[in-house]
Amino acid sequence: MTTENKILTSELKDQATKIMAQYDQPRSAVLPILHLVQNTYGCITCEAETEIAALLQMPIVDMKEIVTFYTLFRSRPCAKVEFNVCRTLSCMLRGGEEIIDHLKEKLGIQPGEQTSDGKFGLHLVECLGACETAPTAQINESYVGGLTKEKIDQIISGKTK
Amino acid sequence: MPTVTINGQTIEVEKGTTIIQVAEKLGTFIPRYCYHPGLSIAGNCRMCLVEVEKFPKLQIACHVQCSDGMVVHTESERVKKTREHVLEFLLVNHPLDCPVCDQAGECGLQDYYMEHGRYDSRLDEQKVKKSKKAEPIGQTVMLDTERCILCSRCVRFSDEITKTSEFGIFNRGDHSEIGLYPGKELNNPYSGNVVDICPVGALTDRDFRFKCRVWYLKKTNSICTGCSRGCNITMETNTDRPHHGHGERVMRLKPRYQPAINKWWMCDHGRYNYKWIDHGRMTEPVKGSSEHRQTATWQELMRDVSNQIRQSCTDSPESVAVLLSPQQSNESLYLAKKLFVEELKLQHIYLFSPNADGDQDDLLIRSDKHPNRQGAAILGFQEDGENIENLIRRIREHKIKCLYVFGQDLVSRLPHAPITEILKQIPSIIFHGSNSNLTSEMAHFVLPSATYAESFGSFTNFEGKVQFFSQALPALGEARSDLEILIKLANQLGITWPAWDAGDVARDMQAEYQAFKNVIEAANDKEVFSS
Amino acid sequence: MNPTNRLNLISQFFSLTDAHMLSVYEKLGGYEMAKKAIREMKPDAVEAEVRKSKLRGLGGAGFASGVKWSFVPRDSGKPIYLTVNADEGEPGTFKDRYVMERAPHLLLEGILICAYAMGIHKVYIYVRGEYLGPIQRLREAIDEAVAKNYLGEKILGTNFNLEVVVHQGAGAYICGEETALLESLEGKKGFPRLKPPFPAVVGLYGCPTLIHNVETLSYLPFILQEGGDWFAGLGTETSGGMRLYSVSGHVERPGVYERSMGITLRQLIEDAGGVWRGRKLKAVVPGGLSAAVLTADEIDVTMDFDSLRKIGSMGGSGGVMVMDEKTCMVRALYTTMRFFGHESCGQCSPCREGTGWVARILKRILDGEGRVEDIDRLIDIGQFMGGTTICALADGAQMPLLSYLKKFRSEFDYYVKHGCSLVESEPAGVSN
Repeated sequence: MTTENKILTSELKDQATKIMAQYDQPRSAVLPILHLVQNTYGCITCEAETEIAALLQMPIVDMKEIVTFYTLFRSRPCAKVEFNVCRTLSCMLRGGEEIIDHLKEKLGIQPGEQTSDGKFGLHLVECLGACETAPTAQINESYVGGLTKEKIDQIISGKTK
Repeated sequence: MPTVTINGQTIEVEKGTTIIQVAEKLGTFIPRYCYHPGLSIAGNCRMCLVEVEKFPKLQIACHVQCSDGMVVHTESERVKKTREHVLEFLLVNHPLDCPVCDQAGECGLQDYYMEHGRYDSRLDEQKVKKSKKAEPIGQTVMLDTERCILCSRCVRFSDEITKTSEFGIFNRGDHSEIGLYPGKELNNPYSGNVVDICPVGALTDRDFRFKCRVWYLKKTNSICTGCSRGCNITMETNTDRPHHGHGERVMRLKPRYQPAINKWWMCDHGRYNYKWIDHGRMTEPVKGSSEHRQTATWQELMRDVSNQIRQSCTDSPESVAVLLSPQQSNESLYLAKKLFVEELKLQHIYLFSPNADGDQDDLLIRSDKHPNRQGAAILGFQEDGENIENLIRRIREHKIKCLYVFGQDLVSRLPHAPITEILKQIPSIIFHGSNSNLTSEMAHFVLPSATYAESFGSFTNFEGKVQFFSQALPALGEARSDLEILIKLANQLGITWPAWDAGDVARDMQAEYQAFKNVIEAANDKEVFSS
Repeated sequence: MNPTNRLNLISQFFSLTDAHMLSVYEKLGGYEMAKKAIREMKPDAVEAEVRKSKLRGLGGAGFASGVKWSFVPRDSGKPIYLTVNADEGEPGTFKDRYVMERAPHLLLEGILICAYAMGIHKVYIYVRGEYLGPIQRLREAIDEAVAKNYLGEKILGTNFNLEVVVHQGAGAYICGEETALLESLEGKKGFPRLKPPFPAVVGLYGCPTLIHNVETLSYLPFILQEGGDWFAGLGTETSGGMRLYSVSGHVERPGVYERSMGITLRQLIEDAGGVWRGRKLKAVVPGGLSAAVLTADEIDVTMDFDSLRKIGSMGGSGGVMVMDEKTCMVRALYTTMRFFGHESCGQCSPCREGTGWVARILKRILDGEGRVEDIDRLIDIGQFMGGTTICALADGAQMPLLSYLKKFRSEFDYYVKHGCSLVESEPAGVSN
């Protein structure tokens, strides 16, 4: 009996299978497959968790454990532009808190929230490993360092167009 | 074999033994939450940290294996101070729920605080809020994530013992929480065990919720009667404060550690199978069926019943049938055999089960839902469908004048229609049992008997292991123990049996049948949260 | 490669454009040492050079690499794995990122040498999930290396096979702890394991496993080129060679500085341009956020593992974070403890509850509601957070906590008493 997979389409399933083949035990592929699914759909839904758990023959509760343990996995779709601003020591020393305050004011949201039009999201993260360009943020996939209030404004207006 | 010294006591141990195991051998208790002898080692609570010479840091006793010449101190100042702080860490985000928490009185945090804590609280901050308070996670268990100390016993239990993996620990850091996958329920047949192993009130029993404070409970060693496994249990009763019981005396059943049978566990069917001890009981001797029913004294009833039997035996011993039950104790079956077979020389004595076969699994549950089929077998009684068919035929042919049953409900067990019509053919049905049913309604004589909870005796499990249960409660109303009833009946029939007690009968029974000497002793009492 | 410029071993690749490409790397002499090892040297000989080199683990623990190799049983009948710890989560550290972005083939060559010496045929590079750029570079480099027969089957015409897989993490500092890394690689949460057994004996999938930091492996080609003794001589008595120091915070030129283990902290700060804006130095964290803080009086220490340990701090990941005179130490400590509270995996009680509790107390102090008991209470909590846990995260939280409170006590007392900082803080001025 085959059930129609909503998340793991045949194409994704092929990719997932290739990933699994790289590991000597299939369960090791759970993080890469979660990344694959999140990159495709924007977040990890219960549906996705169920299908991936079935593919890897893992108890479903373990999937929930993994998705809630690792900070990079989202259960809800992210905004178009995600500001992940570092709040650890070197960035704090070089003005990170002012950047965070500026973003809160400019976007009118608190960390963990999205603007109501879904365009911008703000998250506070721990050290990104780019302390030499502090204050640094990871904006969607890219690291952007040497942040200033002006740079933030430019990015916001640039992305709004 | 390595030699290890703990608090000055030296002992030789098997290779691979951990410090905590050795300490237990020496009678030294090392406090612990996450360690459970029936589960894998987690090593996360840190309560069992002890001092081991030549190691700069304290070591967890549950994980470290003894090496030759190891010297351990479990009560040094350093260890005591560390325990105090570990306890403090565990209590930092723990809610002050004692007044409303069922675990009070058997709570790991309370007990260790009194033993190892006794500090004044230094917490001035807001406690971390978790997401679930008083949320049922299935039919049997209530979850309170705030109270959880994240020992992971429930996770390991559902992974390793039932292999159903319901539990997980979500998030991380001090936002970690126990839970189930959203939408899932805890509904495996052993769900109640997680309440036993939870050291705190995070997982509590819904059936027991707010019923009675545990310090009011009287605990008696007993044996589960739910199937032929014979799990060891503790019967926990409350009779001094009836207002807590709402008419019930048995408050709950808990598994009792028994390495030979059930280890630390029991199934849900057995665990929650006690309400019949206080409900639907027949508490008075009764004679006459349906409209003619009236209560009687024991004297009256014994006289009438013995007359019936004597009459039937005189006319034709073939007209008396006895249905023994695999729910009877060894002692009850032994005396019944003595009376009906050896003294009265009756032939139609059959074993007949009150319950149909059910599910069986690889863990504890047996398909035979009776505690003592093996005891009956030792005495020579096997259940045979053909015998029962013959009996029914003979009843239809009006050849049975007197039927003595031990609690079975033939009406529900024999789907032959019309069984009630068939039973009406019998002039004299004697019902010897504890709970009323459709057959007892039809009986001409009802001899109310005490349940196993109200008796002393033994059962033989499916492996031939004999185990004794103790009396937890006085018999309800006018009910009498099986032994008393059978001895009284014998006396009325002119058989001069003295007033044996259960111990006497057990001794005679063992002398006559070697198999009854295969007694499994109760395991030593263990700390409530290592079990 | 140009090894005679002793200041630029790994870092020689950082300023060259396209050094991440195989063709460029080969022109600079890349993979020559791997060829030498595989074709001309016996595995024992490679191991001997590593032992002589006094190479220490450069991810944070500083364990002698040669000694670590000797713990791995070769006769267990099980495959031996190498996992490369590229999780680089220790705040203040970014040098592995440089290696992976700018010299991924150097890392691959180091992996190849190690794998050959140890009889390893499968390698997983566990890269923190945020490092998308480095992951891309590594995957491309592996494809190039496979195409050129430096990886894959029958490498360089020999019978040696090696597969290297890049594994993307998902945002958990604790996965930089070696046994948590293995748990994560096995598809579970990053919960550190109870030790013993140690990964060298029971590691990935229950098999003997070596775990090495990116930078540590990247020095192997240089060790083979000039010999272990030479590498040892570049450093100090007990810490061989050079290392990549990540310097950040209040300096003029934050960046990666490859220097001998024998450099002093004072010299290193000067190389990074000295304290910025002409200000005075107040404090330095010398080895990543987990290291005890040092005062301005303590910067003549040599930056090798043992010297730093002797003065009560640690070499750690080589992450140097500099704080100027206008830094509020209460805020700096709060930022630090908040990090540990956020990253604690939550497995064991002292770390899970302690880190969060300490952070909350410090927040309350920062909000002006500190109480007289708070500081001594923090010290007492800190003392039992360390040395009582499954892994060293809590020890890493303990060291900054106790060192800040000891060395800057007056600032904390002031904040508690007055509800505000002793230091006139100035905004960093993040405006053009």
